[in-house]
Amino acid sequence: MADVDTPESASAEDGTARQFSDSAPGAVNGPAVARTPAAGVSWPLWAWRQLTTMRTALVLLFLLALASVPGSLFPQEGPDPAEVQQYFTSHPALAPWLNRLGLFNVFAAPWFAAIYILLFASLIGCVVPRTFRLAGSTRTPPPRAPRFLKRLPLSVSYSSPLPPGEAVSVAASVLGGHRFRLRRSTDSSAWLSAEKGYLREAGNLLFHLALLGILVSIAIGGIFGYKVDKLLVEGQSFTDTPSALDEQNYGRLANGSDLAPFSITLNRFSASYITTGDSLGQPEAFHAYLSYTSSPGAAPRSYDLQVNHPLSVDSAKVYLIGHGYAPVFKVTNAKGQVVYDQATPFIPASTSTFLSDGVVKAPGASPSQLGFMGVFVPTAVSVNGSLESSFPAADNPVVSLIGYSGNLGMNSGPPQSVYQLDTTGMTKLPGSPHVMFPGQTWKLPDGEGSITYTGTQQWVSLSITYDPGQVSALVFGMLALGGLLLSFLVRRRRMFVRAVPSESGSLVTVGGLTRTDASGGFEDEFASLSVELAEAHQRDPATSAEPEPKNHPETGA
Amino acid sequence: MSVNQGLAQASSDFMIAALLIYSLAVLAFAGDFAFGRPRRSAAAKSAVAERTPELAAVGAGTAVVGAAAGSAGGAPAAPSGPAGGGGSLPQRRESVLQAIGNAGSWIRAAVALSVVGVAAHLTAVVLRGFAVHRAPWGNMYEFVTALTCVAAIFFVYVMIRYRAWALGVFVIGSIVIALGLAETVIYTAAGPLVPALQSYWLSIHVTAMTLSTGIFFVAAVLGIMYPVAARYRARVAAGKAQSGSNGLLERIPEPAQLDKLTYRTVIFGFPIWTFGVIAGAIWADQAWGRYWGWDPVETWAFITWVLYAAYLHARATAGWRRFANYIQLLGFASLAFNILVVQVFITGLHSYAGVG
Amino acid sequence: MSKGKRRAVVSVTAVAVALLAVGLILGFTGGSGQASDITYLDGSTSAWMYKTGHRPLVPDFTGRTLTGASLRLASYRGKVVVLNFWGSWCVPCRSEAPTLAVLSEQYRSRGVSFIGDDVGDTPASALSFTREMGITYPSVNDPGYQIAQELGKVVLVNDTPTTLVIDRTGRLAGVIYGSTTYSVLNTMLQDVAVS
Repeated sequence: MADVDTPESASAEDGTARQFSDSAPGAVNGPAVARTPAAGVSWPLWAWRQLTTMRTALVLLFLLALASVPGSLFPQEGPDPAEVQQYFTSHPALAPWLNRLGLFNVFAAPWFAAIYILLFASLIGCVVPRTFRLAGSTRTPPPRAPRFLKRLPLSVSYSSPLPPGEAVSVAASVLGGHRFRLRRSTDSSAWLSAEKGYLREAGNLLFHLALLGILVSIAIGGIFGYKVDKLLVEGQSFTDTPSALDEQNYGRLANGSDLAPFSITLNRFSASYITTGDSLGQPEAFHAYLSYTSSPGAAPRSYDLQVNHPLSVDSAKVYLIGHGYAPVFKVTNAKGQVVYDQATPFIPASTSTFLSDGVVKAPGASPSQLGFMGVFVPTAVSVNGSLESSFPAADNPVVSLIGYSGNLGMNSGPPQSVYQLDTTGMTKLPGSPHVMFPGQTWKLPDGEGSITYTGTQQWVSLSITYDPGQVSALVFGMLALGGLLLSFLVRRRRMFVRAVPSESGSLVTVGGLTRTDASGGFEDEFASLSVELAEAHQRDPATSAEPEPKNHPETGA
Repeated sequence: MSVNQGLAQASSDFMIAALLIYSLAVLAFAGDFAFGRPRRSAAAKSAVAERTPELAAVGAGTAVVGAAAGSAGGAPAAPSGPAGGGGSLPQRRESVLQAIGNAGSWIRAAVALSVVGVAAHLTAVVLRGFAVHRAPWGNMYEFVTALTCVAAIFFVYVMIRYRAWALGVFVIGSIVIALGLAETVIYTAAGPLVPALQSYWLSIHVTAMTLSTGIFFVAAVLGIMYPVAARYRARVAAGKAQSGSNGLLERIPEPAQLDKLTYRTVIFGFPIWTFGVIAGAIWADQAWGRYWGWDPVETWAFITWVLYAAYLHARATAGWRRFANYIQLLGFASLAFNILVVQVFITGLHSYAGVG
Repeated sequence: MSKGKRRAVVSVTAVAVALLAVGLILGFTGGSGQASDITYLDGSTSAWMYKTGHRPLVPDFTGRTLTGASLRLASYRGKVVVLNFWGSWCVPCRSEAPTLAVLSEQYRSRGVSFIGDDVGDTPASALSFTREMGITYPSVNDPGYQIAQELGKVVLVNDTPTTLVIDRTGRLAGVIYGSTTYSVLNTMLQDVAVS
């Protein structure tokens, strides 16, 4: 925030001009820095003034940048809780301390919030008074023209055949035509003050206020919005209700009843990969073919969901986040009855080869419950005796299972993840690991039953989000950008014209100055305006439309 | 649509050609330091000073001319000002070609080579785009070659407009280094984009980032030159060094000029960077379901933005103005860190560098 | 300080204080809006009953059971219905299943019918579950959670398991989130089955 306005008094004419330019050293940092609480100024007021100085804003900006750094270097709870867990296991001594400092959730930590809250308080404390001042300055007229225009950074003099009063009137019409605000002399001397460029400060203030608007929009989105996830296998459907969803994150004032009442069926998922050349194995396109109803009983519609093409349903948006393979297994018990028959989502360990891990749990198996830890290889090749995947598509799918029998631990206790097998109450089956091609059956030893790998399906992971602050955040972002451009491109400038009588008419002096000429170019503007004024002033007084009366009533304060 | 290998090869060839031509240009700029006419630098300095009269007028208010030549008869003063002295109005300048001609044969060669190099560089980038049927900034290699092209075009314009020949060896030299690294270390063959990048937002977000990074690149090089120039001038003023004895340092423009040029470059780039971040947020919402998730690359783009904002604030704060340049360099360091380290080594949604 | 500046400081402070107050109110009072028409059982907020006269009407639904028969909620009017949402993959469902089996037998003669809603499951796994746990009452095959969404109009089916007790007029009398215990469900049935 540059150039605090200093009050302009009518008496300090030249001082006015100097104060207006960037060179005045004292004008930059605000008036009240030196005062301490002891000097008769109350303590909260002193603290408030300290907060709203540029120096404080600078320090807070640095702190904000510095505070963001650990948020990018340590794993964060929000996007990647699994990574955080990983960090705890690999750094058992350090991790709890980092956790206490809030380094696993930096951007929600109170100390991070303190920094940006203080920064915005400083911003408000600076912007609001300046808004009042700008409003005030647009009501007060420009200052009187300095007596010695030649002391200004840019000035030029020439003679004109016109008498001084007429010269000033001509200047007024020229500058008025360029939309300068004018003030004319009312006394015997003939001068004109012109000012332009209030948009610069307006743009500056707009930018800073728009930042505040962005903060509020983010807060609204965080409070009233939600983000929920669902993993869906081909052929399956689900409705947007809490019991159906996997991961759920609600804002403080949002809950499951805010979810839009749609239902989605995944008909088919197709992924295509590049099959030749340097980019072999790189994904080309993903298509999740859905049918959905926006509310129960509504007519079903279809949609081809892709990565950059989310589905808008009701107030929410559905995104395609990931995908993987779900091999289909059928497990029979000792009596040959089918106790498990479904596609089992496996999680990819590598997104380039899609080698995936998964778990099959058949609690209904008898005589003892069965569990299997499996590896799914989409395009299996044998490399030095071990199985690897050479291509992400399921061109040559193979599963390798390690079987367990015993007690899965599912009949009591805390809920279990369907992707993890607790083998504490189980014994490994002989013959593990057992490799199977599609259609093959593994008859389990000791008559425990059998497991058949019947085929392969795919799954997609969807993210459903609702953010009511989204649109306003964008609007404020655009306003911030607009304000920024205005403050960089527009310069606040003043032009002064003085005319003193001479033998041939008058000697006209034109002066100009500008505050922080950020983008440059005021010299060019001054030059072209001077040329225009000079040309207008060369007109013969006889060619003027009407002769100017001697005591022409001058307008302006 | 498959990659047009012929055009991809042609693009590579033009890139190598640009690299070689830029290297020759750097040699020519260096040759001017070693063997060029010393007179030229004084004239260049005064020409630059004429363009920025208010800078000379800061605190003094004396660089003001009274009557223009021949004004007694009432002729308009502005267009033809006095030829040699400082004036308050911009002078009718010698044309670009005249200025280049007056600068000496080394500079003539260097500028010609720079322009040809830029043409080759631009051709390489455009051909790459045609080869892969999309905007040619879809991975790290393409991003670096494109941003250095932006930097080169921007710098050649600035150098010619401000007659700042002395900057050539540093900026073009940096571009040569960056391009060299791109061709050797992070080269990626032309190929299609992964589905996450297949969006028209690539043309908007990454283009803005490419442009602003290229512009900040130039500002950073100027920023590195600033303390060198300042220290040299201080030593000359303190009598510790002979003015004119060191041709290289003598020809670097005044620190005040560098500072002003740096400032103008940064304020040119800052709105584009801001726009790029906003466009990135819109694209993130399209692709990932949220417009800001503190992904590592997003976080470092935010840090970069905050640092450049701090630079702008520092320039307007009493007592901090002399540190402002270092803040700008810190901002570029964070930008470079974002591109070279965060995107490559820190996994997140943004890991599409195409490296490794 | 000048009048303008004082005005500015005062207005800014007022705005800040107002924002802070709103923030505090939102922060500390979000969540448990206690309605006056329910009473919690067992001192926990995961099981409650609606007071007579404040019971919402449960929407009707139809479905296919795991054995293929058709089932409609409205056909149970005149009986007390215990509707239990479960899945064979769900550990708390497995731990409460024996309780449900016992209670279903115990209250059968008093006009109480148990219905299961099997969600996110396949018939093979589900039938082996009912066989294993000794559950003889029918369950609707609802892999897509359709019925849970229907019932979302009166009560949020938050997770599995969830048990709803519906009175003889088809109105919702009790809700249990999570694994039910014998005493909680028994208390509810004693209350509702009386009428």
